[in-house]
Amino acid sequence: MQHLIVANIKERPIRALTSVAGVAVGVVLILVTVGLARGILRDTAQREKNVGAELIFQSSSGFGPGVSGPLMSLPLAYCERLSRIAGVQSVTPVGRYLRSGAGGIGFEFIEGVSDRAGPGYVAYAEITRVSVVEGHPIAADDEIMIDHRLAKDRKWAPGSAVELFDRRFRVAGIYEPEMGSRTKMRLSVLQELLVARGKCSYILVKCVDPNEQDIVARRILEDLPGNAVARTSDIPNFYDQGIPSLNIFLRVVVGLATVISALVILLAMYTTVTERTREIGILKSMGASKRFIVAVIEKEALYLSSIGLATGIGAAMLVQELISRFTSLIVEFEVKWMLISALVSLLGGILGALYPALRAARYDAAKALMEE
Amino acid sequence: MGGDDDEAMKKILQTIDLEMVYTMGKVSVFALRGVNLAIEEREFVSIMGPSGCGKSTLLHIIGGMLTPTGGGVWVDGEDITRLDDARRTDLRRRKIGFVFQRFNLFPTLTVEGNLRLAQRIFTDGARHRGGEAEHARREEVLALLGLRDKAKHKPMELSGGEQQRVAIARAIINHPSILLADEPTGNLDSENSQMVLNLLRDLNRDQGQTIAMITHNPDAAAVSGRIIRMQDGHIVAG
Repeated sequence: MQHLIVANIKERPIRALTSVAGVAVGVVLILVTVGLARGILRDTAQREKNVGAELIFQSSSGFGPGVSGPLMSLPLAYCERLSRIAGVQSVTPVGRYLRSGAGGIGFEFIEGVSDRAGPGYVAYAEITRVSVVEGHPIAADDEIMIDHRLAKDRKWAPGSAVELFDRRFRVAGIYEPEMGSRTKMRLSVLQELLVARGKCSYILVKCVDPNEQDIVARRILEDLPGNAVARTSDIPNFYDQGIPSLNIFLRVVVGLATVISALVILLAMYTTVTERTREIGILKSMGASKRFIVAVIEKEALYLSSIGLATGIGAAMLVQELISRFTSLIVEFEVKWMLISALVSLLGGILGALYPALRAARYDAAKALMEE
Repeated sequence: MGGDDDEAMKKILQTIDLEMVYTMGKVSVFALRGVNLAIEEREFVSIMGPSGCGKSTLLHIIGGMLTPTGGGVWVDGEDITRLDDARRTDLRRRKIGFVFQRFNLFPTLTVEGNLRLAQRIFTDGARHRGGEAEHARREEVLALLGLRDKAKHKPMELSGGEQQRVAIARAIINHPSILLADEPTGNLDSENSQMVLNLLRDLNRDQGQTIAMITHNPDAAAVSGRIIRMQDGHIVAG
């Protein structure tokens, strides 16, 4: 049976290639989309761990390091109350805005940070120890600072003009080490842009004794119930668990990829069954059972899907290489998602071939033999 | 039926009052009108008649590819009209070999590949069971039909006569009880026709292969042991 399947595939190379490409697109769709999302989240999480504070305070609605929570909805007044809690050394508010990444690939954050102390809080740099290594710190409302990676990817330098929120900004300086989002502006400017005066997204909390961060966290929750506190060291775990809305999106992508694979295989196998009506009639005249005919067509679909899967994985790796070479984005492949993409492409192939296979198995042998 | 007779006179094929009516809208066309036919083991029978007399319909019914509207068909003792589609297919697989006018080989497979496919169908897809025995049988059949040096060729690389010999090889490779040949020389020139007919005759004479051959060519029918003549859905002689 195997030699018949291989011969059929070789006989119709264009159809085979189209099917393989269709399945491969599904695999690339899954691996790159998921890989991009996971990679960006992991990278973001790693940077957020570097903020120098032990705790992060946020409104309880949708804790998930500021990504899924209500953006810029936390009153700054919490800073004063937090700073009075025993064990808290200092706090600083951070505003955050999520937008699509460069060229529409992935997403990126823009942060609003305080460049000077305010009521109950200190400047961002005081807690995070961020320092500007090129240019100068933010000194005006139309200035931003960026990290080295972004400067390299976008070819920006101190003095470069940047368009953000349909407004013109200028790069004041390049900071180190990488932490939080790669682009930072004044918190007051972000508040104004997002119409969120007196609000922030979360508050970084530095403890007097880092070893007592759990005790301090408990105190915060006792004093300010209805809010959420997390350790910054736990941020990568939050991201690993995923973001509810992102998980839904990823499920949609997987579903879409399954449908694409199934449809491509369905069309290819439907065409092949129609083209090979006479051959199916010959098989039937030779005594081939329905099971045998279904198996021939399903196996051919599985072969095509398997080649499509391998091609898709190869293409996804190529895309990964290109993205990491030309952008600051990270595409991270996980075994789990490779297995899911394998399952999706093979399952899509089997399901797609099922109707043509059953149709072929039901052909009337005598009529099929009369086909030209 | 069939099995009740003396071994030497065993009926491989029998039809009783076989009828086939095609209904097209309000019109009924009688293709077979009560055909009674018996073919014994090791017989070589030709079925002759003009176009539209019901020869091909008869062949398709006794090959289990069409269900008659009346009467019965016994193949090697089994009434195929009482079998469902799956069991009829199974019977065809085990007991019937077909040879067609248009050869009906798989163009993408080599000669050997076509034979292997027939063997695979015979085992219903089971792989490499008795692989050596299957290989030996392929060699035997290829040698028998003078195709040894053509084993790796694809059908399009062969002459019409050679292709029909491959079709015959494929039909007999699983030792069918009866070989049904539908105008096997219809697409061949006279030289190749004679070669194929001689081959069928030799298979019948030397291997004891039971053969029922449909033809409209009296010269072709002459190589068989008995000629059945049909007209308007009836057997009129033989």
